[in-house]
Amino acid sequence: MGAETQESASAAGGRTVRARAADLTDQPLTALAVAVFWAWLVVRWTNDFLLDGSLAPRGTSFFPTAPIEFAASTLSGVAADLGVFGLPFRWLAGLVGFVAASVPYLPELATGVWVTVLLTVSGIAFGFVIAVPLSIARVYGGTITRSVALAYTELFRGTPLLAQLFVLYFATPLSIYIRELPAVGTGFVPAQAFWVAVVAFTLNSAAYQSEYIRSALNSVPEGQLTAARSIGLSKVEGIRHVVLPQGLRYAIPGWSNELVYLIKYSSLASFITVRELFEQADAIASETYRYTELFVLAGLLYLALVVSASLLMDAVERYVAIPGLGTSGR
Amino acid sequence: MSDPLLRLDDVYKSYGDERVLSGVSFEMETGDVDVVIGPSGSGKSTMLRCVNRLTEIDSGAIYLDGDCVTDADTDVNELRKQVGMVFQDFNLFAHLTALGNVTLGLRKVRGMEKSAAREKGYEHLEQVGLLDQADSYPAELSGGQKQRVGIARALAMDPKLLLFDEPTSALDPELVGEVVDVMRDLAAEGITMLVVSHEMGFARSAASDIVFLDGGEIVEHGPPEQLFENPRADRTREFLGRLRTEHEEG
Repeated sequence: MGAETQESASAAGGRTVRARAADLTDQPLTALAVAVFWAWLVVRWTNDFLLDGSLAPRGTSFFPTAPIEFAASTLSGVAADLGVFGLPFRWLAGLVGFVAASVPYLPELATGVWVTVLLTVSGIAFGFVIAVPLSIARVYGGTITRSVALAYTELFRGTPLLAQLFVLYFATPLSIYIRELPAVGTGFVPAQAFWVAVVAFTLNSAAYQSEYIRSALNSVPEGQLTAARSIGLSKVEGIRHVVLPQGLRYAIPGWSNELVYLIKYSSLASFITVRELFEQADAIASETYRYTELFVLAGLLYLALVVSASLLMDAVERYVAIPGLGTSGR
Repeated sequence: MSDPLLRLDDVYKSYGDERVLSGVSFEMETGDVDVVIGPSGSGKSTMLRCVNRLTEIDSGAIYLDGDCVTDADTDVNELRKQVGMVFQDFNLFAHLTALGNVTLGLRKVRGMEKSAAREKGYEHLEQVGLLDQADSYPAELSGGQKQRVGIARALAMDPKLLLFDEPTSALDPELVGEVVDVMRDLAAEGITMLVVSHEMGFARSAASDIVFLDGGEIVEHGPPEQLFENPRADRTREFLGRLRTEHEEG
């Protein structure tokens, strides 16, 4: 049976290459828009942080505003000529004018987006590391482990995130400890307030994530662990090799919600002086008094981040999909 | 005289007030194929699950190859490496391919290298006639194929004893045959099997002994021709009569 085995083995090898771009999304236009958005962000960040402004001086837009302003004024001219029928053109002129007015603020907002992304990704990733054992404790733990995990979850889900941020920042010596660490607040490494926010988001998000994962673990049929134990795996090994791979797949759709929430809740870090997207927009607005423009712009950037996250999680769900398992049913 | 492969000694088990096993004693030798029959609720599955300690007994003792496996200090994972189990509802690992199902235990319990585990996995899939489905996920297999993968998964661990818990009860009638054929092959190869099943065809042709369990007690225990043709106990006769009627009606 040697040759036959070889053949089967290579067939199995071919099967693992299942990731094709077309399989990962059914929204190609959104994916294109997201790709353009991220290309801009990455070029912007590289220019500002790594190349020391060699493409365009730091804080200066890549895009000249003059042609956009010209387009806006041309459109208003057309609108005026058409009289009553020019209304759609006047709206269009207003929109283009908004774009022209926004472009100069984009570079500074991009710096805020960087901090927002860093905050969200760290919070969700560190939170996940805590959430998995927490949810296992909730589902498979003994009385004591289960109550400790439950108490943790209820504490962090039951109190406002803003209060948690304030307690960690003002009422504990955490920020002093972090400030004394080497490199904090120099070069690329953000100042202590950022790290306090990461700690708060981690602890808070772990509680929410553990709830999503817990309910997903509960939906793995009991027979799966029984079968794992029947071949000689210990309970922990059975959970690790059989229950988690299935449960985490079930958890993806719910868990994606938490990612989307955290992107927006990260704006609360502005209350403890972290210069993330919202704080950055607020700071520019209070200098220029262009509150409407800046908050609309910040809102659009948050929207772009959220759409990116949804698209990414959708792709992840498709990538790890297994026939007959979970919602995608492929 | 050497020890029997499996010995149950006066085993009792209750769930709350309900007594499921009351004083079950039973022995089987290596190479035996024993089939346990009995009305539903008679304790057949519980008896089976006590052997690999998926269920803990209340009193009595169970010996595998002379070693008492019901002691508190027995390593259950060591025990389960030696006793394979096939489930009524298959319980295949839903996130793994047929091959993955068979090799998980080899890799994580036996600590085999990936390539060696695959090699052995293919052998056992071939043994149940499913080499061509090695890369299929459970959801892509028919019930009969799932159960054959379940058998291959248990076989791969080279158990001293294979337990079958109603392996064909969840199958559509037309799929029962393929599973029974595999079980018959294994019996012919000399694999020791303790089977809870009402597949009379299998029981008649492959079993060394039939055990009739009723109300948590072994009512009768003997070779198939004796137990089916000349049952000694009234309860056995009555049960077999009912089973035949059902078969004819079905």
